[in-house]
Amino acid sequence: GKMEEGKAYSPDGVFAHLEMLEARAHEAAVKQEATEQQEEKLARLKARVQELRLQRDELRAKVDLQQKGQLGKEGVVSDLAQPSARAVLEWKIKNIKATLQIFYLTGISGKLTKRGVCFCISTAYEGTYLDSYYLDLLTKPEVQIHRHSVPIFIPLEQIAKKYLQTDIRRFLSVLSDHLNAYVGRRYQADQLQEHFSDQIEGPLQRNSLCNLLVFNYNVSSRSKTFPFNVRLLYGDPCGSLPTEVIVSCTPDAPASLAETAAAHSDLFRRVALHKAFRSFSGTEES
Amino acid sequence: MDETVAEYIRRTVLKIPRDEIKTMLQKWGFLSETQLQTINFHQIKENISQDVVQLCEENSADIKQAAVLDIIYNHIYPNKRVWSVYQMNKTGEETEFFDLTDFKKKFKRRLRSALKNVTINFREYEDNAIWIRIAWGTPYTKPNQYKTSYVVYHSQTPYVFVSASVLKSNLPLLCQALVVASNYHDIREMELRSHSLNSLKDIVFKRYSQNFQTYCPRPLQERNVAPESADLRIIQENRHEKERIQRVNREVFGDGPQPQLEFAQYKLETMFKSDSKMDVLDKKEPFRCMVKFSSPHLLESLKSLAPAGMADAPLSPLLTCIPQKARNYFKIREKKSLFPGSFMKIIFKDHYRAWGRRDSWNIDVSKKFPSSFSGY
Repeated sequence: GKMEEGKAYSPDGVFAHLEMLEARAHEAAVKQEATEQQEEKLARLKARVQELRLQRDELRAKVDLQQKGQLGKEGVVSDLAQPSARAVLEWKIKNIKATLQIFYLTGISGKLTKRGVCFCISTAYEGTYLDSYYLDLLTKPEVQIHRHSVPIFIPLEQIAKKYLQTDIRRFLSVLSDHLNAYVGRRYQADQLQEHFSDQIEGPLQRNSLCNLLVFNYNVSSRSKTFPFNVRLLYGDPCGSLPTEVIVSCTPDAPASLAETAAAHSDLFRRVALHKAFRSFSGTEES
Repeated sequence: MDETVAEYIRRTVLKIPRDEIKTMLQKWGFLSETQLQTINFHQIKENISQDVVQLCEENSADIKQAAVLDIIYNHIYPNKRVWSVYQMNKTGEETEFFDLTDFKKKFKRRLRSALKNVTINFREYEDNAIWIRIAWGTPYTKPNQYKTSYVVYHSQTPYVFVSASVLKSNLPLLCQALVVASNYHDIREMELRSHSLNSLKDIVFKRYSQNFQTYCPRPLQERNVAPESADLRIIQENRHEKERIQRVNREVFGDGPQPQLEFAQYKLETMFKSDSKMDVLDKKEPFRCMVKFSSPHLLESLKSLAPAGMADAPLSPLLTCIPQKARNYFKIREKKSLFPGSFMKIIFKDHYRAWGRRDSWNIDVSKKFPSSFSGY
């Protein structure tokens, strides 16, 4: 701003000038506050990153400890000296919740109960979390299953007979494999029925374990549609891809379709069922 | 169209509540949409059924198609029948690849090889349930469509749900066919019976709510906390006890709805224990007694006993073990019985009290000297 000539000593002039200076100072102050806040925020985030890194290292150490054969409730180690008891408690609770969330996300988590331990197996398939299954185990006089929510068609008794007494980790791991594979197969079949029902002719024959699927689907070639029949057998109870695939077409189908059938057969063996069908709709004619 | 088929269809339609007839016929799919539109579904059922029979005549319905309508009716109203549960066993450990076509073929072949005069129908549902309807005849008579047995089987499970109806003599044959078709070795009847098919499934498939202790970070369900009365002059004297009862109840019964059973029966073969003053029996014989608990919804009644102040919590394990042991028929013997303590300790504060319109609580304690033990 320029001092207006001739108005230096008029009240308006001075006040106007002062006002302007005030405004400028205010602007500058606001700007500085903003930058200070930014820096503060940055510092806070950096501190948070440090905190999380510390937490991560702590958890890593605990996982290592656990892998050396220690099962049980993990204690929370708090070595941050906080002034108030309440703040300590809140920090502990937050820490425990985060640890438990992590264990839950790994798929197998447990909680000690009065007479033993209760395990939760959470299943997932390619990033989608699916059902959780529970096992209430007693530890005395020997390890035994008290109650559970595992579906009846999963061979729980067989797996328990093999591993429960001798190697509980293996037991949980094998059971988890069975359950994850089952929900994976079921998820694929459900997705197929939900999103590609227009390509499927007639009923989709499946069973409780979803380890045998038989159905007909349409394949178009040269603007005509031909029905293909496919039989998918999932031989490995811990696998979610079929071990045997038979794709066949009707006898009157053109010879070129035999190649298509072979290609589809190969695709079903390698790729999830609904993804295979998605790729069919993607490509125009095969 | 056969007269017997026409009559059968007519009677089946008459069973259906009037508002449901159209939907069920649509599910059946035997009559076309245009044909269905010619029927006035607001007239009396007698006339509706006549119209339906007329249209079926046009389409030349046979007994197989009529049977499908019967399956659909029973699938929607399964609780009109009493269902028993059978358990199958096998020794092999290989993974089962249940093939539906194979199952149906083996079942039909086995049944027909022993008895030619049977009508067999299958229908599959979304939840992997296979419904089998069997109308039984004799070596000399055609199948009687009004004497049917129903079987519900979920593939790759060892449980079969059977509603046998009258002809018990055909049960062994039915069991044999099931075992052969599903690749099991033997089958036995469980001590579990109810009208509610879904509840039986919930019990044996363990689909009922069990309270598992976990750290799963689910949001805690809102507990039914009664709002504290605004009037500070009202104090809950028994609040601690009430809370304890709620907690114990939740641990035993879980949070969700209970499977629906209509009764639990306990046959006591125990010695009557009394002090010498009440010398009821001169000879120390087992006091043969049968206790039967009946209720429209037995497990919910048991669950509400303690909170209602009618019994102490925790309840006797003989009552609370019903879903877990998957049985509602028990035999309690001296010392060798399932539970320590050879007689039930159920303390009822007020016997023979019925409450509410929904639940009636009848305790039928009758002395019965059984002449024969059949089945158990």
